[in-house]
Amino acid sequence: MGREDFHRILDETQQNVLRMGSLVEEAITKAVDALTRNDVKLAEEIMRADDYIDDLNVLIETNCLNLLALQQPMASDLRTIAAMLDIIIDLERIGDHACDIAQITKNLANEPQLKPLVDIPLMAAKAREMLRESLDAFSHRDANIAHAVPQKDDEVDRLYRKVFAELIQFMAKDPKAIGRASNLLLVALYLERIADHSTNICERVVYMVEGVPKKLKRSVIDFDQAIAHSDEIMQTGTASEQAAGS
Amino acid sequence: MAVRILLGAALVTIVLAVFFTAAHPGPLRDLILVLALVVALALAAFLAPTLGPPAQPGTDEKSASEGGSLGFDDIIDALPVGVLTIGADGRIGVFNTAAGEIFGVASSRAGGRALIEIVRNSELDRRVSGSLRNGTAQTAEIVHSGAAERRLLVTTRPLNGDPRSGVVVIVSDQTRMRELEALRREFVSNVSHELRTPLTAVKLMVETLQSGVDQTAREQFLRSMADETERMIALVEDLLDLARLESGKLELRLSEVDVADLCRQAVQAQRARAQSGQIDLVCSTSEERLVIAADRDKLYQVVINLLDNALRHTPPEGTVTLRATRENGELAIEVADTGTGIPSSALPHIFERFFVVDPARTRGHSGTGLGLAIVKHIIEAHGGTIVARSELGAGSIFRCVLPA
Repeated sequence: MGREDFHRILDETQQNVLRMGSLVEEAITKAVDALTRNDVKLAEEIMRADDYIDDLNVLIETNCLNLLALQQPMASDLRTIAAMLDIIIDLERIGDHACDIAQITKNLANEPQLKPLVDIPLMAAKAREMLRESLDAFSHRDANIAHAVPQKDDEVDRLYRKVFAELIQFMAKDPKAIGRASNLLLVALYLERIADHSTNICERVVYMVEGVPKKLKRSVIDFDQAIAHSDEIMQTGTASEQAAGS
Repeated sequence: MAVRILLGAALVTIVLAVFFTAAHPGPLRDLILVLALVVALALAAFLAPTLGPPAQPGTDEKSASEGGSLGFDDIIDALPVGVLTIGADGRIGVFNTAAGEIFGVASSRAGGRALIEIVRNSELDRRVSGSLRNGTAQTAEIVHSGAAERRLLVTTRPLNGDPRSGVVVIVSDQTRMRELEALRREFVSNVSHELRTPLTAVKLMVETLQSGVDQTAREQFLRSMADETERMIALVEDLLDLARLESGKLELRLSEVDVADLCRQAVQAQRARAQSGQIDLVCSTSEERLVIAADRDKLYQVVINLLDNALRHTPPEGTVTLRATRENGELAIEVADTGTGIPSSALPHIFERFFVVDPARTRGHSGTGLGLAIVKHIIEAHGGTIVARSELGAGSIFRCVLPA
């Protein structure tokens, strides 16, 4: 393989990472859409499409390993290949989370809706925005974008704590709601994890561009605080504040 | 100019050759004359195609009908639809300004990059790859999730009929059209439902009356039929009002109106409904009398519509407050509720006709989506303004300010 072939394969592999990213972005959008509209057919379509994401994952990994083994890349090319190998792991996990949300749509298909979904679509929009910008950072090799994305994780975590508190209250008030509420808790957790994976992608981009591994800002969910907040809500009985919550 | 110089030089050569040979007769003379003639003929043959009328000042020498480069790029860039060309190598050639606006990418960044690097849309990527591979032309509507979701009509076609030359992609943004279609469908559905429900009730009551009932039931049915008829008439009048407002044909009948008294009357009219919904309905005014010049009936309609909206979106044990105050030489009418609130994405559209935030979130029927549009038109016809503020889960405030 000559040097021209190396750069051609490297370019194609980067494009495939972006293709995989695009499919994953669409999967999240459709998964939350299916959940909001209780659309089982769309949920099944998302689960079928995950096979293509997995195939791309294998293709990209194979190309990267071949390049490493056969070309002994150096400096920025080496960092790019290493970054891609990590990024596709995060993208593949995000794709799996989209499938998990689609599965929950199927699980809840025949159950009455607990409440209109409000905060979960907001979380999804924010997580999707983080993923889109992290892929923009990769595409344009822009470390500035990569540094800015993790700052948005705070908003996702705030929404997660709110959803957590409200669903805990639902479960406490009505044991029959535990099944539905815990499924929605999982959805919120998956969206929070998608935001974290986007931060991971940004860390890889920063390493790729600046050559130095860095841990970027991310907040940690304090579950004790979230539960305590839920208790406070139950004590004050501000049910109307929670009515349109999740 | 260069052509003329060369021709002149050729003629001078021939003339000099003639004089030289005339001055030096001999065998060399014939040879020189022949050579000069050959050179002249060769120059004429070479230069003939370029001879023609001189170029006019300010125009390219290539004719405009040949699609010379001058102006073509400007034409492409001025088109209101997105135009992209993708080479056989998958790299972007042309990426006009409209394409940049549709996909949220600066056109200057696109040239020479792979399509998937600039526009991360797997559906578009797949269609372009298909056209490059198979030479097929295709048209489809796709969804692009960028900063905002857009519905795009995309046509991909091989350049010059040969995919080896690349592919041209034409992109047209259909988002607004689809939104309007959805609004129209929803409006027709809502109006049909709003009319069908009372008509069905009236039909049942008529059939029951025809089958014979006692006097008490007859009077009750007739009252109900009258109520349902009034409801249908009110809906049709709303539609006509809105049509008049939007066409600018509304005439205000101005008189002195005591807004404080008007508010108290409106609250009284909605009291029973609030009580049945277990909602606390409060009225407060900064003065006992708040008089301004206004159309009383239209202003009453504004207050009723705002109260109706608030009551529909407030759950039991909530509060709806109507406040009228005079401040800074203006009159403010405010309706605040502790209801479900309005998503920030819906807030900019709340005064558009037919717009309903989410029928699933309202209590009872969702309405036609005309009430707030009518309110806005009436307030603006009075020279006033209306704004809405809302927090999801906490409630909303609608504030009208009128000149006093």
